[in-house]
Amino acid sequence: MSASAVSVVDDSHAHTHEHHGHAELSFIRKYIFSNDHKTIAKQFMVTTLFFLMVGGLAALMLRWKIAYPDQAVPLIGHLLPDTWAADGVIQPGFYTQLLTMHGAIMLFLVIIPMVNGFIGNFAIPLMIGTDDMALPTLNMFSFWLNIPAAMLMLGGFGLESGMAGGGWTVYPPLSAIAGLGQTLWIAGLFLVGFSSIMGAINYITTILNKRAKGMTMFRMPMTIWALFITAVLITLGTPVLAASLAMLFFDNFLHTSFFIPANLIAASALDGNSVWAGGGQPLLFQHLFWFYSHPAVYIMIVPSMGAVSDIIATFSRRPVFGYKAMVFAIMGIGFLGFIVWGHHMFQSGMSPLLGTTFVLSTIVIAVPSAIKVFNWIGTLWGGSIRFSAAMLCALAFVSMFIIGGLSGIFMASAAVDIYIHDTYFIVAHFHYVLFGASLFGVFGAIYYWFPKLYGKMLNESWGRKHFFWSFVFFNLTFFPMHILGIGGHMRRIADPTVYDFLKPFQPMNEFITWAAIGLGFSQFFLLGNIFWSLKYGKKAPRNPWNANTLEWAAPEHPGHGNFDMDITVYRGPYEFSQPDRESDFYPQWIAPEEGESHTNHVPDVKHVVAH
Amino acid sequence: MLDFFNFLRYFPENVSTFGSDLDRLFTVIWYITVAIFFLTYGLLIYSLIRFRQKPGVRASGSHGNNMLEFTWTILPTFLFAGLGIYTDNAWEVAKNSNRIPKPDMEIEVLGRQFNWMFRYPGADGILGRQDPKFRTRDNLFGLDPSDPHGQDDIIMENEMHLPVNKNVLVHLSSIDVIHSFFVPQFRVKQDALPGSWMKVWFNCMKVGKYELACAELCGASHYNMRGVIMMNSMEDYSKWYDEQIKNKADQMAQAPPQPVADAGTAPASNTQPEGEHH
Repeated sequence: MSASAVSVVDDSHAHTHEHHGHAELSFIRKYIFSNDHKTIAKQFMVTTLFFLMVGGLAALMLRWKIAYPDQAVPLIGHLLPDTWAADGVIQPGFYTQLLTMHGAIMLFLVIIPMVNGFIGNFAIPLMIGTDDMALPTLNMFSFWLNIPAAMLMLGGFGLESGMAGGGWTVYPPLSAIAGLGQTLWIAGLFLVGFSSIMGAINYITTILNKRAKGMTMFRMPMTIWALFITAVLITLGTPVLAASLAMLFFDNFLHTSFFIPANLIAASALDGNSVWAGGGQPLLFQHLFWFYSHPAVYIMIVPSMGAVSDIIATFSRRPVFGYKAMVFAIMGIGFLGFIVWGHHMFQSGMSPLLGTTFVLSTIVIAVPSAIKVFNWIGTLWGGSIRFSAAMLCALAFVSMFIIGGLSGIFMASAAVDIYIHDTYFIVAHFHYVLFGASLFGVFGAIYYWFPKLYGKMLNESWGRKHFFWSFVFFNLTFFPMHILGIGGHMRRIADPTVYDFLKPFQPMNEFITWAAIGLGFSQFFLLGNIFWSLKYGKKAPRNPWNANTLEWAAPEHPGHGNFDMDITVYRGPYEFSQPDRESDFYPQWIAPEEGESHTNHVPDVKHVVAH
Repeated sequence: MLDFFNFLRYFPENVSTFGSDLDRLFTVIWYITVAIFFLTYGLLIYSLIRFRQKPGVRASGSHGNNMLEFTWTILPTFLFAGLGIYTDNAWEVAKNSNRIPKPDMEIEVLGRQFNWMFRYPGADGILGRQDPKFRTRDNLFGLDPSDPHGQDDIIMENEMHLPVNKNVLVHLSSIDVIHSFFVPQFRVKQDALPGSWMKVWFNCMKVGKYELACAELCGASHYNMRGVIMMNSMEDYSKWYDEQIKNKADQMAQAPPQPVADAGTAPASNTQPEGEHH
């Protein structure tokens, strides 16, 4: 495909693709097995929002069990089979399956595909000014592999022995001696990893090779930098997860002993006579798993950081403060992210000397995080701030990320971690980072880019209501969990009333459950808004937020091929409120006027990628 | 009113020697993070109010300030790296096996789905030799049937008695999946890893009944894997222990070492896998 042929497509010419020589596409190729990055982004958005509700439902059932261990789940409890919920009361075994499913769905079927599949697919070609991904068919497979993968992961739903119950961290031997539901889960996650790698290879290739004329690396918006570095993390980390899952699959299904020590006597599976030869080491799995899964927490949040930087700049009418420092901070987070995995294993039996090493690397990762927070505040400082729904969600990201980051310092210290490890303090911490920050960032991205995705504006007032109630209920749900953790409340226990020292916390557990229910129902503002706006939303103008980046150069509702003009980039992405200009923004694609005194309007030829 | 925000009061009472050091570290980090919280939230909220959109007021076009970037890179680096080094000693005291003080008594603890098993040395004061290859359902500790020291060992389930003000060294392992030995009031937590023995030590300073929790997901009844640790004065402990020794002697008189030896002749077999396991 000749990349110099920027196709001429807008709403009225949506079916003319002369430049690509496409014939009229069938319904299936256009909407289902589509190669168009925007359609794939929409597919990712819809499926992840669906799984967000499924994972949320699992969370509410968990919360109900913790708050009211002996009471039937209202409404749905009696619909469940007795082996899961006898008389509507969730059984402990089903509880462990629910917590496994909640974690796995939210991490692997919601957050990772949301920040990478949805934001990445939508933003990369549009923001670097090209017609599509470098490898559009691979892109299509990366979405469609997710569907069988999800079906496998949740496949235990139809089995009598139930779903996987080993936690999303699948530590062997527990996961290795479990039944078929766990086996399917491992196979499903293996495929999700493949989907992730396919996407990441595509992002790296596209960003390196398909940038528009004049789009040097340091003229790329923060979103693109974030997605680029995330893609590098995925290509380096995910194969390690795949290797560890493959070995775990062998241990579970074929009874090899990569992770299984000799002479186990387990209640159910082994029945006195081990079918495993033994000689394996359970800690090996944890090392391999966290070598991926710690970078994975950055895979889950870094793209959100990028989108939030763009949103904050646009709605403050300010250049991103310290743009290069922001880029280097993300690189720093990416690098350090690979040498801190041991902090998940301080109490695992790993050598305490290694613990000391990991304390230092872990605590230093607070530095690039601090740089990012201060630069976001620097961007707001001196701005002219508009509190749109997108901006409110981005601000929620920043404020919740501060709390999640600060609570991380406690567990970065191995000594303090002895007590709070595997308590609700940890649960509070990662929900502040993953929901409070990452997911609010995605909400912001949806509000910000929806006009370009669908050509319709979302309803702002509903958007603000969604933000407000989510923000309030989020904090009511997760902040008290810090207190539970300080009280020593363990994670993943179905019935805290078993322990005398936890009984005083039961009212707080009930409070959290009701707040969580409120948080769940607040999400209907978002879903309702999306459905309503698709049908009745105002038609979106080409550049509704007066932003500078290239996606807003595309037509109101861009078709396959994206742009209806030749794109040349003349300047950086954040030329807001420059003193020598009357207008408070200066898009990257607008050619400088005659006699303008801008120093950076001539594209640096060295960095222009041959197009 | 201020007490409402004092989350430190939710800590269960600390009763172990090194626990107060760990609590102090938590408190230090607590005050540092609260200070950073107010600093950043102050800046954030101030800028949101001060720089909200106002008619006729234009935003600043500044792209940044290298001096500021330098400052907020260097200061946190020193602060956090210093904090990491500062907390290291408490970690080494609690966990580094080279720094464990001379134990006054040693005890073996095994996690299993979903109970805690404890082994005391018994009348001869010596823990009998054990090897995982001797493990069976009737001999979970894998006691070597040929070792007389093991015959009088006392095995308890879910209830452990210990004396106060003694350095107790726990040898911790698991016979099935990973469990975690967590005593909140002692500020002790250590995973029990099948196939390896971990050393856990503590010195409890207060008589009382404490709960031992499993803190690592270990299966359906994980929530119910609860043990009790009775911390007694030395006299009470000795009284209890002598009683156990007597019980064990009675038990052995009724049924001489036979059962243990029987179990020992049929160790868990590695070579003959049984088909059904799921």
